[in-house]
Amino acid sequence: MTETDPAGARDPIQAALADGRTALTESEAKGLIADRGLPVPGGETVGSADDAVEAAARLGYPVVVKVASPTIQHKSEWADGAGVAVGLDDAGSVRAAATRIFEAAADRGIDAAALVEEGLDVEAGLEVIVGGARDPSFGPTVLVGLGGITVEVLRDVSRRIAPVSTAEAVEMTCELEASPLFDGYRGAPAVDRTAVAEAIVTVGDLLVEREAVREVEVNPLLARSDGAVALDALVSLEDEP
Amino acid sequence: MAVTSLFDPSGIAVVGASETPGKIGYEAMRNAIEFDGPVYPVNPSASGTVFDREFVPSVTDVGDDVDLALLCVPAPIVPDVIEECGEAGIGGAVIFAGGFAEAGEDGERLQGRLVEAAIEGDVHVLGPNTSGFLRPADRLYATFATDVDAIPSGNVAIVAQSGGLAYALAFRAENEGRGVSAMVGLGNRATVGFREAVEHFDADERTDAILLHVEGTDDARGLLETCRAAGTPIVAYNVGEQDVGDFAESHTGALTGRYELYEAGFAQYGVPTVRSVAELLDAGTALASCPRPDGPNVGVVTAQAGPGIAIADRLKAAGAELPTLTAETREIVEELLPGMTYSANPVDTGRPMPEFGQIVDAVARDENVDVALVYELYEGAIGYPIDALEGLVAEVDKPIVFATGGPKAVVRNELAEIEALGIPTYRTPERGADAAAALVRYALRNREPEAVAGGDEEVQADD
Repeated sequence: MTETDPAGARDPIQAALADGRTALTESEAKGLIADRGLPVPGGETVGSADDAVEAAARLGYPVVVKVASPTIQHKSEWADGAGVAVGLDDAGSVRAAATRIFEAAADRGIDAAALVEEGLDVEAGLEVIVGGARDPSFGPTVLVGLGGITVEVLRDVSRRIAPVSTAEAVEMTCELEASPLFDGYRGAPAVDRTAVAEAIVTVGDLLVEREAVREVEVNPLLARSDGAVALDALVSLEDEP
Repeated sequence: MAVTSLFDPSGIAVVGASETPGKIGYEAMRNAIEFDGPVYPVNPSASGTVFDREFVPSVTDVGDDVDLALLCVPAPIVPDVIEECGEAGIGGAVIFAGGFAEAGEDGERLQGRLVEAAIEGDVHVLGPNTSGFLRPADRLYATFATDVDAIPSGNVAIVAQSGGLAYALAFRAENEGRGVSAMVGLGNRATVGFREAVEHFDADERTDAILLHVEGTDDARGLLETCRAAGTPIVAYNVGEQDVGDFAESHTGALTGRYELYEAGFAQYGVPTVRSVAELLDAGTALASCPRPDGPNVGVVTAQAGPGIAIADRLKAAGAELPTLTAETREIVEELLPGMTYSANPVDTGRPMPEFGQIVDAVARDENVDVALVYELYEGAIGYPIDALEGLVAEVDKPIVFATGGPKAVVRNELAEIEALGIPTYRTPERGADAAAALVRYALRNREPEAVAGGDEEVQADD
């Protein structure tokens, strides 16, 4: 389901550490969690606008095109919004989005690639944040909340010390003020709480097992009635492993 | 058990003992001589006696029967004295002086030297920057604070990060007519921290509950694991809610507030938390007095509807269940209260009545009930149902909590009788409800794994 990254054969954490990086690229991060069973959209990392168009044809429209560089963490704010283009449903718009990324990267002297991914319908689910951080006092911890602006404004999140079991993680989703939304508010289909819980478990286990990982953020995780997909993932590493 | 010489010493040396009232070395000595064991004043520059005991020049000159030193000396010489304690085989020390890790770089260096000397000499150090500890049952007052002998002996141990808060709790207990098995202010936690103290009082046979006050520690996970491993119920007062850190971006790190992690961690590791000194003591009293609750189902019996509603409201907010009573119980209640009151749960009797005790008995015995909570205003002609309550706790093996109101002078003696039956008593509806809620949270947080929804628990334990 994920792309075959040239670096994918190696452990991405080891690879990043060897490069002196403190974060994985999005595709590395997604590869890491996909290996642990958390679904991610199909995607390919490409180096040119032509390759982007070909990848989009293979993946099937609509697609998302994002900038891919170890130096860029906040893609949507990068280059006046050039970093992320969603809902692209023909070759022309894919070519335009990819070209914008490569030009903006060249302007900034960055050696960036582009990530072309299956475009999923975010309206058909609930956007959730699943995070994990290594606290100096508590060690690995996890949290879950509704994604996006909700979590910023309302801070409606539930936390646990990792590792957690699936049952505990389901309990976390039930603690959210927003919990009724998971059950299908106003006729929307109920989302798969267990799939969200498994994402929480995965993030917690990753922190427990890999000491070099400082923070993991899956935001948004698209929770649907038939599972949950990590639309974006960020893995940052300890500065001094 | 490792810190026995500190908290259960056989003899005491007061280092820096002084003849000048008001000085720490005088006040600590005055407290120390209450102890039923050898107590030596130590001061190289003093001669003669203090409190009829002869000064000795150094801890290395005191007898073998001393294993606790109270250090009433200025911070800079503390590491040297600890070194001497190690040489003298004194395994426990309390350091009152401030000016260590809490006081900038020089202080941190000094604390580093102190820790080194303590480890080298195998001395368990309480503090520095602490007001010490006390064990009223042994008349052991390892502190410079005054009037501490007013604090009665009881069955809850206070383990507080702050000495000031430890005293706030201990004196609150005294004001309430309660006592403590121990009161400890941890201070800077040079070598004795939460884990050592909790482990010690978990194993202490006079301690039936541990009251924990936490501001923060660099080993929160260790503290949580120690709490989970303890057999003695623990209840925690976690402070610092408003310190939410930088409200930066919507990312995991910024959302991970320490206060919230403590709350989550205590819940996960089986420790109920409270939000005030008063509530900490009330909850601890309930946990120390009552059998362990099996679940969150509370049966409420009230003699007045208003307090009953306030109680039910608060219990539900705390996650308690108010289960339907069994048909058998309802039958008993209906027979005693023919049709005039509310006989579901809460059971409302309208006013105290001669049969009130029988109703409490029936509700406490109900198989759907894990905790019984009783409220009644005192009525002189009827009194409290002490005869009915006698032996009930042992028979049903469930917590019974009793809340009431009435003139203090009148109810005091009768409430002491109820407490003696293993039933904690409280003077407002809310305090009774909060105490029952602490029992409920304890039950919810310490459920057997198979009782937790899901059933796929503990799978990663084998990974």
